[in-house]
Amino acid sequence: MTMQANAGTRRRVAFDLEAISNYAVIAAFVVVVTFFSVFADGFLTGENLLNLISNKVVLLAIVALGMTIVIGAGGIDLSVGVSMDLSSMIFIMLIAAGYAGIIGIAGGLAAAFAVGLMNAILINKLKINPFLATLGVLFIGQSIQRLSTQGGVPIYLTRAEFAAPFNAIARTSLFGVPTPIIVLLICIVAVYLALHRSVFGRYVSALGAQADVARYSGIPVPFHLAMVFISCAVLSGISGILLSSTVRSYVPFSGDAFLLDAIGATFIGTAISAERRPSVVGTLLGVMLLAVMRNGLLLIGWNFFWQQVGIGVLVFLVLGLSFGLRKRAE
Amino acid sequence: MTAATDIPTTRSGRFNSRNVSKIAIRLGAFVAFAGIFLYFALTARGFLSPYNLTNVIEQSTILGLLAFGITVVFIGTGTDVQKGGIDLSVAANAGLCAAVYDVLLRDGYGNGVAIPAALGTGMFIGFLNGLAVVTLRIIPLLGTLAVMNIAAGLELTLTENTVVPVQSPLMNTLAFGRFLGISVLAWCFLVTTLILVWVVQFSQIGLRLYAVGGHHEAAKAAGINTGRYIYGAYLFAGLMAGATSILIVSRLSSSTPGTGLILLPILAAALLGTVFSRRFIPTIGGTFLAALFIGILANGFQLLGISSYWVAGVQGALILLVVAVTSFAKKN
Repeated sequence: MTMQANAGTRRRVAFDLEAISNYAVIAAFVVVVTFFSVFADGFLTGENLLNLISNKVVLLAIVALGMTIVIGAGGIDLSVGVSMDLSSMIFIMLIAAGYAGIIGIAGGLAAAFAVGLMNAILINKLKINPFLATLGVLFIGQSIQRLSTQGGVPIYLTRAEFAAPFNAIARTSLFGVPTPIIVLLICIVAVYLALHRSVFGRYVSALGAQADVARYSGIPVPFHLAMVFISCAVLSGISGILLSSTVRSYVPFSGDAFLLDAIGATFIGTAISAERRPSVVGTLLGVMLLAVMRNGLLLIGWNFFWQQVGIGVLVFLVLGLSFGLRKRAE
Repeated sequence: MTAATDIPTTRSGRFNSRNVSKIAIRLGAFVAFAGIFLYFALTARGFLSPYNLTNVIEQSTILGLLAFGITVVFIGTGTDVQKGGIDLSVAANAGLCAAVYDVLLRDGYGNGVAIPAALGTGMFIGFLNGLAVVTLRIIPLLGTLAVMNIAAGLELTLTENTVVPVQSPLMNTLAFGRFLGISVLAWCFLVTTLILVWVVQFSQIGLRLYAVGGHHEAAKAAGINTGRYIYGAYLFAGLMAGATSILIVSRLSSSTPGTGLILLPILAAALLGTVFSRRFIPTIGGTFLAALFIGILANGFQLLGISSYWVAGVQGALILLVVAVTSFAKKN
């Protein structure tokens, strides 16, 4: 009797721990937001939050959505910065040459598409593992940028004659919602449907969970991998165009800063699912957590250097809690 | 009778073709290496001079030593970067250790304090990685990413993102000293390589480490304390970061922001190293050759007067080429 009862309580405790472990990131997010609302002056103002979302969240979130697809398929894409930068570069160069905004956007996205295609060819045809393939593309992309900008000279298009296309992208709004946020929402819905509500998404998950089994069950692996890497690159390209439109310039290698944050956000997001799989909702939570921490630490007066330490420590603690509790539960 | 005689011939025939393809696979990457070496020897003036060749080894030292750290982590945890282990913090860690060493020297402490402090900092960061990956079971890619942030942030707070110049006799010896015609820096690389080849490839510890990385459950079942070995691998990577940081400071006579940027070249060297091994696994010798390969590329381009804008791209393309050729050879 006692033994049975013991076993029962133990199992219930274990179950609770596992459930708690899935909510650690959400709890951390709530705690962080509450903390900054109380202690950081100006955090909980409409202006700050809108600024936070339209400047900090949108760009990273779109790249991280792409990364979510790739990591969901069991790969990794180190070339998201290159997709962003090349798309931004072609976009800015076309605008500078006097083409219409729409041509610039098409050119930029085509450049990003080419990066994704290159990744896909390296991975599918040449059988290089995604990490090395996209790392090689990253190096090649850096050279392309150096060669096209005399070693990395930024292109600024701040003169009024170029303002129209940038304003159309970055300064307009629909029903009071700024265009970049609308673009983000469209991307979220599209990736959500593709990843969580379609056959494509199920195949991608199968690839990520059990690549060999997926192969043996007849899933057309090369096609799906190609789609995965191309969509990641194109999403990063969209983010690059939004970035250029906001700052009205192309600064070489500025996309590199997004790589590790996108990977971090995606993996933080895996902590909310019981199987520790990447998901759209999880990734968005990860992006928000990073953005809120950075903004909040800035507002309470921590400089950039300490922000980085603070974010590292917080991520470490949150994940330690999440993964550590889960281990205890097992 | 006929059948009996037939079988051995076919078997030996198959053996031969298999042997040939095996040799081709084994040599593919070496042939590529030798080809590029030969090309530079023929076209780049001064490439083969002893002075330049030591220079190549020197240039590869820092990359190579840090790549050894990651190689050992790969050996203990597997090269699947998403599911296996990885150490993203190693470059940022070297930057932090360089800052610690540098700032202590600047503030008047001697090498007797600064060197242990740098090594200790490196191992502490390695310990944090072990804590994240082994004790807390955070995905290595993410756990070491968080640690990387911590290390990079601490480096910036120590140096306030500026170049902090320092001088010491030891640093001069390390940077400019020569012994038997080879620079001290190159000696550090060669001697460390030999010691590590012995420990990792030929000792019991190395064998067990490979067992842990090759088949975690089997290693556990065989009674190996797998957690301790993985902790050890991360601590070792931290120690390498600490030791290399002293060479970095010596070479530049300062601690300079941006050490973290060599993370990707380090990873490239460690992963490229797998093509220089018989079974395409991470080895110390393979990583040594990969670091030299990357060093030779940079050096050769410099001598040929090719614009530095091209270097990253051609390096990337060549790495892709070597890996692709090897993976094809492996498949056949």
